[in-house]
Parts: sequence; structure tokens; C-alpha cells
Amino acid sequence: MSENISRRDFIKLAGVTAATAAVLTGCGPASRYVVREPYTKMPEYTYNGQSTYYATTCRECAAGCGLVVRTMQGRALKVEGNKYNPTNLGKTCARGQAALQGLYNPDRIQNPVNQKGEEMDWDTAIGVVAETLGKYQPDEIAFLTGLAPDHLFDLFGEVAKTFGAPAPLRYGALGMFEARATLGEAARALFGQPNNLFFDLAGAEVTFSFGANFLETWVSPVAYTRGFAKMRQGTPGKRGYLVHFEPRLSQTAIKADEWFAIKPGSEGLLALALGKLTAEHQGKVIAAYEGVDVEAAAEAAGLEISTLERLARIFGNSRHALAIPGGAPLAQSNGLDSAKAILSLNALAGNLGQPGGVFLTPAAPVNDGYHRPATVRELALLVEKMASGQIKALFVHGVNPVFEIPAALGFSAALDKVETVISFASFPDETAVRADYIFPDHTGLESWGYQRLASGAKESTLSGAQPVVAPFYNTRATADVILAAAERIGKPLPYKDEVAFIQSKIESLVTTEGGFHAAPEINTFWAQFQQFGGWWTNDEKLGSPTSAVLDRPLAVRPAEYQGNGEYHLFTYVSPILGEAGANKPWLQEVPDPTTTVMWNTWVEINPKTAETLGLHDDDVVRIVSPFGAVEVSVYLYPAIRPDVIAMPFGQGHAAYGRYAEGRGVNPADLFGGAVNDAGDLAYAGLKVKIEKTGQKKQLSRLESRIGVYGYEEH
Amino acid sequence: MAKNHNIPEYKAEWKAGEEGKWGMAIDMDICTGCNACVAACAMENNIPFVGEEDAGYGRGMHWIRIERLWEGKYPEVKTEFQPVMCQQCGSAPCEPVCPVFASVHSQAEKLNVQVYNRCVGTRYCANNCPYVVRTFNWRDYDRPEPLNNQLNPDVTVRQRGVMEKCTFCVQRIHKAQDQAKSEGREVFDGEVQPACAQACPADAIVFGRIDDPESRVSKLAKQGRGYKLLEDLNTLPQVTYLKGGSHVRNG
Amino acid sequence: MSVMAKPLAHAHGHEEHDHEAELRKEHLLLDPKPRGEMNAMVMDMMGGTTWKFWVVAAIMGALVLWGLVYSWGIMIAQGLGLAGVNQPVYWGLFLVHTVFWIGISHAGTFVSALLRVFKAEFRRPFTRAAELMTTFSLAQAAVMIFAHMGRVWLAYWMFPLPNQRQLWPNFHSPLMWDFLAINTYLLSSTMYLFLPLIPDLAMARDRSTGWRRKLYSILALGWRGTEGEWTHLRHALNIFAFAILPIMFSVHTIVSWDFAVAMRPGWSSTIFGPYFVVGAIHSGVAAVGMVLVAVRAFIKNMDYFIRPEHFDALGKLMLIISMAWAYFFFNDFMVQWYGGDRWTDELLHFHEAGKWGWIWFLMLICNIAVPWLTLWNKTIRRTPWAMFIIGLLINVGMWAERFIIVPVSLAINRMPFRWGDYEPGVEVPIFIGSVAFFILLYMLASRILPLVPVWEVQEGQMAHSIRKYGKEPVVTVSDLE
Repeated sequence: MSENISRRDFIKLAGVTAATAAVLTGCGPASRYVVREPYTKMPEYTYNGQSTYYATTCRECAAGCGLVVRTMQGRALKVEGNKYNPTNLGKTCARGQAALQGLYNPDRIQNPVNQKGEEMDWDTAIGVVAETLGKYQPDEIAFLTGLAPDHLFDLFGEVAKTFGAPAPLRYGALGMFEARATLGEAARALFGQPNNLFFDLAGAEVTFSFGANFLETWVSPVAYTRGFAKMRQGTPGKRGYLVHFEPRLSQTAIKADEWFAIKPGSEGLLALALGKLTAEHQGKVIAAYEGVDVEAAAEAAGLEISTLERLARIFGNSRHALAIPGGAPLAQSNGLDSAKAILSLNALAGNLGQPGGVFLTPAAPVNDGYHRPATVRELALLVEKMASGQIKALFVHGVNPVFEIPAALGFSAALDKVETVISFASFPDETAVRADYIFPDHTGLESWGYQRLASGAKESTLSGAQPVVAPFYNTRATADVILAAAERIGKPLPYKDEVAFIQSKIESLVTTEGGFHAAPEINTFWAQFQQFGGWWTNDEKLGSPTSAVLDRPLAVRPAEYQGNGEYHLFTYVSPILGEAGANKPWLQEVPDPTTTVMWNTWVEINPKTAETLGLHDDDVVRIVSPFGAVEVSVYLYPAIRPDVIAMPFGQGHAAYGRYAEGRGVNPADLFGGAVNDAGDLAYAGLKVKIEKTGQKKQLSRLESRIGVYGYEEH
Repeated sequence: MAKNHNIPEYKAEWKAGEEGKWGMAIDMDICTGCNACVAACAMENNIPFVGEEDAGYGRGMHWIRIERLWEGKYPEVKTEFQPVMCQQCGSAPCEPVCPVFASVHSQAEKLNVQVYNRCVGTRYCANNCPYVVRTFNWRDYDRPEPLNNQLNPDVTVRQRGVMEKCTFCVQRIHKAQDQAKSEGREVFDGEVQPACAQACPADAIVFGRIDDPESRVSKLAKQGRGYKLLEDLNTLPQVTYLKGGSHVRNG
Repeated sequence: MSVMAKPLAHAHGHEEHDHEAELRKEHLLLDPKPRGEMNAMVMDMMGGTTWKFWVVAAIMGALVLWGLVYSWGIMIAQGLGLAGVNQPVYWGLFLVHTVFWIGISHAGTFVSALLRVFKAEFRRPFTRAAELMTTFSLAQAAVMIFAHMGRVWLAYWMFPLPNQRQLWPNFHSPLMWDFLAINTYLLSSTMYLFLPLIPDLAMARDRSTGWRRKLYSILALGWRGTEGEWTHLRHALNIFAFAILPIMFSVHTIVSWDFAVAMRPGWSSTIFGPYFVVGAIHSGVAAVGMVLVAVRAFIKNMDYFIRPEHFDALGKLMLIISMAWAYFFFNDFMVQWYGGDRWTDELLHFHEAGKWGWIWFLMLICNIAVPWLTLWNKTIRRTPWAMFIIGLLINVGMWAERFIIVPVSLAINRMPFRWGDYEPGVEVPIFIGSVAFFILLYMLASRILPLVPVWEVQEGQMAHSIRKYGKEPVVTVSDLE
């Protein structure tokens, strides 16, 4: 069978309708390349009006949800959840739903181009990659990839190893905002091994969430939303209790039974105080809480001691209590301490490895180590090397560092110092437009792949990806480009192409027991892997952590704040746009859950604060930090601390297509470079000033300006 | 009196105690306001996006929206999320007022249907809808190439000057019914899911037959938590909301 | 033919010689002119067009082109997005103006038919002017309805036309009632305009040459002025005058039902029918006053026919109608407010205290305060320019009333999350175009049609005479029918 097989054969081999889910066997080798063929001759199994469904993986964030994409006559029509995938069990979030607007985005890069925008053919492009790989010393080459722990990260790792270059860095703004490395580091410190943690929300009776936006963007929102729903209504007669600590009423906080707008940076102190009071309530003496000053913690958080005592009783009385550390509390100067303090509450509740408690995420079926995303400290090192000219070639895939790395780190300036920058972006984002070459990869829905999960599933899961449509433009899989380039300069990797690479990685699963599907040999397994959208174990494979955290005294330093403004800046990732959704028009038009603003950035200010400042809705203000300033419209948000202002991350693009460009502002422009003990950016400890500009720019809201508050106030 | 079947019913002949057919139960206790339903609906039903200015001027085409109303003042402030779409009223105020029978009741599905190519755009139906869920095509909204590739062939693309609204994804209902018929069976509970229910990560939207007491939606709707939106208007909505137990408070 | 004597105003003056002259100066019907002279005066009105007329007509024509052809054309091509309507304010200025024009059209018929039925003699010189107003403003109302539609090119789907799908319009829809009522009104008021025109057209036919003669020959339908023809005309007019009154009441009642039958706070009111009828007459009679002032100022010989006595009479009518309107407004407001329904309360509060509160107060000032404070005064009533301003203000007030009822009330509904706002867009040029179109039609009509019903005036003058009983001049009226 030839390597180039027609699209219809491809469909015959790899595609099955999800509704019937028939098992395909003995079809021979699946196709590697998908070529487009006109539908003048209709394949015999295709009927007008009948759809074909393909299982794949969502690439809109790093959670790795399984998708089933409805296609008809070679067009992708609708994204639906893959009901088999244990991460999302058939569900999707808004970002996943809008994935097709990435595939069919009118601003996609359609051909390999150089910086002048001149189109190249792929042979030349591969030549450029080969030349770049061959020209420089191994330590002059750097790979920067997206947050998702996918096959390409593995491949880049092997390529880097082959060439002796440093291992690729995995980075995404979401990882930075969630301070994922800090949580991993805290897990290492507490449980002896670095790992992603799984919080069994579904089984918890009482959950204390310390700024964990698990219903919005946090780690695996679809999975945690399912957990939340089960916690609330999963068991008849039982309704889990959720207490949320966060300076603003976030979407997650709205769903909480109690919300406490505590001062940013006080979360760790609060956790310790709650731990101490809980232990006292339970009549235990715990070494960890010996030195804890409850009064000071209450004052730092801005809560009454009686409230803490009441909360401690609630926490202590429950047999299934859970504490979740979110992103913002960890992105403080004391973030690592806070993470430990919050996690220690779980040890106190005795829920480690227990239903409704904390678990270690299952080891991935492939490349099962813990792959921590790069910390900002590591990125700063890379930037330093780039700026000093030490890095001569930079390969960027799946991330838009010029936008996603806070400007204060100087990535943008350092990029100019790198001799050859090659971007594999599908869209003309800020990094791609400044790269020397753009060799566009297929978008997620046109490409092969697999992905490990950060968290979200109890089963050991490898989410599989396959093209749901033939590539729409003259794009090429980055893996194939890299492999071909490596071969051209005489350092071939042992894989013919991307599919061979993936197959070689999952080959060991063919013989692994306890899988969701099994096959006698790789070809059948491969077909099933595509059919079901991956491979996962039937049984739960969560790890049970153990910890002696309570035996040692715990302490949390008071948070140190950068900047000398009056207001804490609370930055959160837009729950709708995420880090990279801004170029999808329908995501722009989906209203923000809390403010209902569409198509723009706003700054949330407490109406009382606004009154003292003389600010009204839609007044444009300048938010100034020592590191930058942005101008943005005011949204009077009735549920935010008066000393805190909040802005969503996701807009403010200088490039990235017609729907994103020049829209809103990027609050990360205000961030400084201070990091916490784990090397994550301490962006949450920023204090800013508000300056009036005297201008007004009306925000587009779905909500009525008069109806939701009453018109007297306007 | 013999019925003239050439004249469509202007209003469902709803008898006391009679039930509808397809219905929804929305659990506001677990709705997280994530807007996945909003995006899913837009993707399934070829809903155009209108851009910043029009969206802010009440011209967004969302067939489903998540309402969020504030109560109280900081720090005693609370709110909840409520998805609102066409309630498929059994006695729909939008139907009698249309001069050209573009808003009619489907006798087969017991749904309120909007006949796009019959609509002349008087917008009376929308005025008379107490739930404010009808959206109007104020313009021909641009869908630049190749975004049009994802248009769902099962759903009509609407022209400017036409009213539209949530259909309960009637195209999916029909598909499932056809499938069931060809297999010689009834549509089973859960087989049809509108795009919103299908996407909902919390499974807060449950869809099914409300005339089947054994269906999931019927059981949910009969819970003590159930209520209808603006029930006193006697529009007989087919959507039941389950009261949220969440009461955000502070201190 | 019975003869009855009835004293009119000023019948008890003391200076008898001056008194008679005064009576003649005051009352058109007591100031007869020879037939031929009066006919010549009316013919003179239609001819003798100056360049100023054409300049104004050209400006109006340009405004029509800009408002109704260009602006509306663009809106048809690009959609109603160019207008200010949105969710939830689905209806905006187009429907405000529909109601506005229909309201104005009311007075023409009201003045003409009602006063004819009740034999109010002061109507005679201006029934024609008022009836023309009816027809032309109804045409503007139709323009506004069509502009309002999302797909105006399919407007004929509202007609009960046979078609292969056997689709029929929905007669349950108030819009359908409206459509039928307005059509009936347009037809009947056009016929009611035309019938009394026939003798005058015949008069014009006999006194003109060239194209005018040809045109009038066709329009006059061969009128010879025989006794039989007069009898038929009087019968027909009698029937029409009685028949058109219920039609007139029904039209605006049905217009009010567009709102009143809807399931909306503020709209669902049982008093909307008479409230709208009175409102329509309020704006319409004021508009008749304005038209008469304009016609008197700009058309030759008109000051003979239109005299202060007519403004005086109209002024009294306006004052009474303003009181009636105030009564209905208060009634509606009071009942809605007292009911205490949550959403109605929100709406009423929004009317006064919301963004458009000033329009609500403007409505009360123009509709109640202005007429009540001015029209009790005879001198003001008899001053044409003052009457023009008062008429204008009443029309502004009635426009404000419709603005409050349509877009402002639509902003508030039972889903506070979707309360809205309204900023007019292309409605404004289209309205300006329709006003210009109205003026233009009137101007052109004044060149072709006798603006004064000559035969009616002559008939009135024949019936009225001053006789002396001793030294006292007494006005006598003979009943002609």
C-alpha cells in the first residue's frame, strides 16, 4: 500500500461513526498522510446527509479532553465531547466548542513563509530547518513548546537529545497563572515525589478552595466541573459544601456556599490558622501548627476570628474535607509556603488517598515521568541566554511567548538577538510575525498526536489525536518537518514520520493489560486508538500520597508585594478565552461568566472604591505598575474587595489575526519579574495605581446596565 | 366544526393537565455559568457572531444566555447563574401575534417553531415573549471564508430581517426519530441531546420526554426544587429550573 | 325647507351699524361673495405658482430622496441594524411614527365627518384641507410600517393572496387587524375626500384650459350639477360621514391593541383603546390647526376663507380634547400604578426616573400644561402663529407619548438581565423624509385640487344671512337638508 492514500481510504481505515462504535480489525497499515481528493466520486459508504465522526483530542488548553468531531463530506461541522475519554466523559467547555473556529480561521497561515512573507515550498522549508539544526552548536539551539505534554514535546525531547541540545521547555501562560510548578514542588516537598495532584471533589463533603478556579480554567476545568456537580447533586440527600477564599467573586466563588474576599497573599496564613483551629476543635496537638498566630492570620486575611473558628468547626466536623490550593495564592512571594500550608489541611483532614481527598495523578501510559512545565525562573534563564547571543536558534511550537511571557522578562527584546527563529504557528501570532520563518503546523484537528493529562482523570490516560479533516492549507506536521530535517543532515531519528513515532511510543500499550481496548498487534490497536480517541486503563490508577507534613512546624512568611500602588492587582485567565482563544470570533462573543463583557478587556473595581475615585462604568483608566501601564475601561464589579482591582488575561494582542489584534489590553504587561521559592512568577503580589484618563469607552456587555443593579444607581 | 387543515394552529390547543413532549430540566445548583452551552449552541445552529459594537447594543444572536443578577451589596453580595433559552411554551405568547404564521406550534413535536422563510420581520413575537429569548437578524452578518465551512447543513442559515430562536435542536430530534423509526423502536431516553445539554460539563441541562414519567427529565422536574420561569403568566413552559441551594455569603 | 333663526355670538351688541360689519368680518358664512368671484379666487389659488414654491418643493423633494429613497434603500439593503432597534427594544421610532401619522390622520376625518354629522358650520372652509391631511399622513404611516419590517420585500405576504401553499395570513394577529383596519381607513377616507371634491372639480373643469381641463374632466366624472346629482352626493356624504366615524374609532383602537393585547407590563391596559383615539384626535386637531395656519400664510386668498373664528373654534376643541387626554392618561397611569405589579412598577418608575424621564415630562407639559395655560385665552386662540406653536407643541407632546409607549416601555420587561436601551439611527432621516414627503404631497395637491370646498362654503353662505329684527341684526340659518 502506498504511503499516500486517498482521503476516502483513510476514512475507511481510521474513521468510524462514534454512534455505532464498531471495532475495526485487520485493515492493514493506517495512513500517514492525508491527501485531498475532490468529492466528485463519492466514497461508497458516504451518504448524503450522513455524518462521519472522528475521535480526537482538544488542543484548546492543556487539559487533554477527548473530542468527537462531526464531519460531513470532508468538512468538520461540530465538536462534541468523547464520552469514552475519562477526562471529560463526553463534555466540553466553551473553548473546546469553538475549536472549529481555529481550524477554519480566516487568518491562518496557509503556506510556509519567511519573514518577508514570501511563500516557500516545503522542501526548502525542511532545508532551512536542517541547515539551522546543523549550523549551530547544540547548546545554541532551544526548543520552546506549549503547555500540553504531548507527543511533540516527547519528540522534541528526543531530537534535543540526539543533537545534544538542552531539553525543550514547556510553557504556557495558563501554567504560569496557575503556578503549576509551585504545586508540583509543594507535592515533592510534602509527598516525597513531584507529581500532579488530583483532588477528588466529587467525594468531598466540605471543600475549602483557596482561590482554585476549578470551574473556570484551573488544570482540567471540565473534569473538575463534573466533580463539582457530583459533589453537589451526585448523591441524593447529600450536598457538598463549598467555601471559597478569593479577593473577587469569581465564577467558582459564585457557586460556593460561602465566599470570603480575603487579602491577596494571606491564603497560606489563613490555611495555617484554619489548621490550628481545626486541630484544636478536634482536640489534637499538631506539631505543624504550633507556632501559628491565629490572630495575625485573621487580621492578614481580613476575617473575624469567630469566622475562622466557625469554618474550622465545619472543616473539622466533616469526614470528607478537602482543601484545594489555586493558582493566584501560589503566585505570591510566599506561594510555596502557602501551597504546603493549604495541602497540609488535607493531611489534617486525613484525606490523603481517601475518597474525597487528594491523590497523585496516575502515571501516564507513555513517558510516565513527571514533566513539570518550565518555571519563569527557567524562562528568565533562556531569555538571558537569548539576549546574550548564546542561543542562536529558537524553535517555537504551540506557544506564543511574546504574548504569553510577561513583558518584564524581556523575551521580546531578546528575540531580536536570536539569529534564527523558526515558528511552527498556525496563526500569525506575535511570535510568529517576528520569526524568521513560519513553517505552519496543522491545527489540532488536522493532525496526529497523543497527549498525557495534567490531572482530571482517575485512570492512566493517553488521549489520542487524529486528523478529522484533510489539512485545509499547505501546512505540514512539525514532527514530519523535524524528522525530515534531522535525516537530511545525517542525524536521523529512528522514525520514518510522525505516525511511526506515535506508533512506536504506544506500541508497549498493545500488550498492556487492563486497557479500555486491546488488540493483538499494533495495526489493529492503532485503528482502535483512533477510533476511541486514545487509550486508558479500565481501573483507577490514582496514587496515594503519604506525608509527614504535620510533624514539622509549618510557617508562611507574610507576602511581599511589588509596586507601591494602593490596589492589589488580581489577574485571572479569562474563563472563556483562555490563553489563546482570542482569535476565535465566537469565543470573543461568548460573554464572560462574571461580567458578561464581550470582545474586550475591563478592570473590575468595587463600586465603593470607584466612588471615592470618582470613576463610573466605562471610564477609561490607566493602571500603572512599576513595570508598565495599560489603559482599560472600568467595570464596577459589586463583588470584589475594595482594595483589589481585577483584570482578565487573554486579550491585548498586537497580532494574532483580525479578531484578536488591537482588542483589549494585556494585564501581564504590568507584571514584574519577581518569582517565588519554586521559581514561578509572583504576579499576584502586585500593587498598582489607578490614574484617570478622562476618556470613556463603552464595554459591550450582555447584561443590562440598568436591569441588574436597578437604574437609580446610574 | 370540521377543521381546515390548511390553516395552521395559531396556538396549541392545550388542555388542562395535558403535558408537552420534549422538555428540559436545568439544575441551577450545579450550573457553573461556564457558557459551554452558549458556545455549543452557536456552533450547532449556525448562529452568526455580530462583533463588539452590535453585541454591546443588544444585538448578540445568542439563543441561550446565562443570566446573572446581583443581590445585596459587598460583602453580602450574591448571585447565581441561570441559563435562559426559549422555554417552548405550551401556550406561547409569540404565536398568535405573528401576522404570517412564522411563529407556529408544531403539533408533532409540541414545540414552538419559527419558520424562517415565512418571517417578514415585524418582530411582534419578540415583543410578546416574556423571556426575551428571540433574536433578530439585524444585518447579514459576515462569516469570512473559510469560516463558512463549519456551517451545519441540518440548520438553515438565516437572512437579515428574520427572527430566530432556540429550537431545542429540533434537527437532532428529527434525526433520532428517523434513526429509531428505521430500527423499529422508540427514541430512548437520552438519545437526543440538544447541543447545550450535550456540552454542559456539569450535566446541569437534562433533556428528554416530559410526557414519559420514567425519563430522567421528568423525574428531575418533579423534584421539589423545580419551578418554571415566570410561571404566573401561564405560558406553560417546557423548561423546568431546579432551584439552586447556593447562597453565597460572607462573614 | 325649514327656516330657523338662531342668534350667534355678538348678537347683543349695542353699536348696531358697526355690529353688522363686524359680524361679516368675523364670520365667513356671513360674508358672502358672488359665486363667480369666489370661484375665481379658488382657481387663482391653484395657479399663479411662484419660483419660491418650486424652491421649497425642490428642497422637500431632495429631502424625500435622501430620507425615503437613499436612507431607506440602504437600510433595506443592509438590514435594520442601521436603525436603533435591538433586543429588547424590538420596536422603535418606526412604530412611533406609524402611530404618530395615523394619529394625525385622524383629525382630518374627525373634523370633517364628526362636524358634518353634528352640523358644525365652522367646518365648511377647511374640511378639504383636513381630509387631504388624513390621506397624506396615512400614506406616511404606511411608509413607516413598511420601513419597520425586517423583510419589506415580502410585505405582500400580509395580503390574503391565493398561493400554491394555501398559506393564509394569521387573522389572530393584531398586526393583521391593523393592516386591514388601516387599509379600510385609507380607502374610505380617500373616497370621503373625493366625493365632496366632485362639484369643485367640475367647477375647476369649467374654468380651466389645457391639461388641467383634461385632468378635471376625468376627475369630475361628468358632474353637471343637476338636482339629482346633488341629492345623490348629499346622500352619499351623509352615509360616509356616519360610516367613517366608527372606522376612524376602530383604526386607532386597533392600533392601540397592537400594544394592549401584548403580554407586557405597561402595555396590557384595557383603556388603551379610547386613550389612543383621544390621543390621535389630540395630535390630529393640533395638526389641522398647524396646516390651516400654514395654508393661510402661504396660499393666496386663503385669509378670506380661514379666519380667526376658525382658530378660535379649533382652539376650544383642542382644549377640550387635551382635557380628555389628561383624563385618560391619569386613568391609565393611576390604575397601572395602583395595581402594584412588580414589573409595571419598574416600568412606571423607569418612565419618570429613567434615562428618558425628560421625555415623559415633556409629554405632560406639551399635552396638558401648554394647552391648559394658553387655550382658555380667546386672544391666543385667535392668533394664528400662537396656534401654530401650540399645535406644534401638542404634536411634540403626542410624539413623546408614543415614544414613551414604544421604545421606552420596551426597554423594561420581566427579565431584568435583558433590560435595554435605545438610540435612534436611520429612523431619523427616514422620518425627516416622510415629513418632507407629506409637505410635498400637500404642496402639489394645493396646485391641483381646490383646497377650499367652494360649494360647501357657498352652501353655507346661502344658508346664513343677517336679518334685522327692529334695530337688532340677527343671524339666521336655514337648514338646507
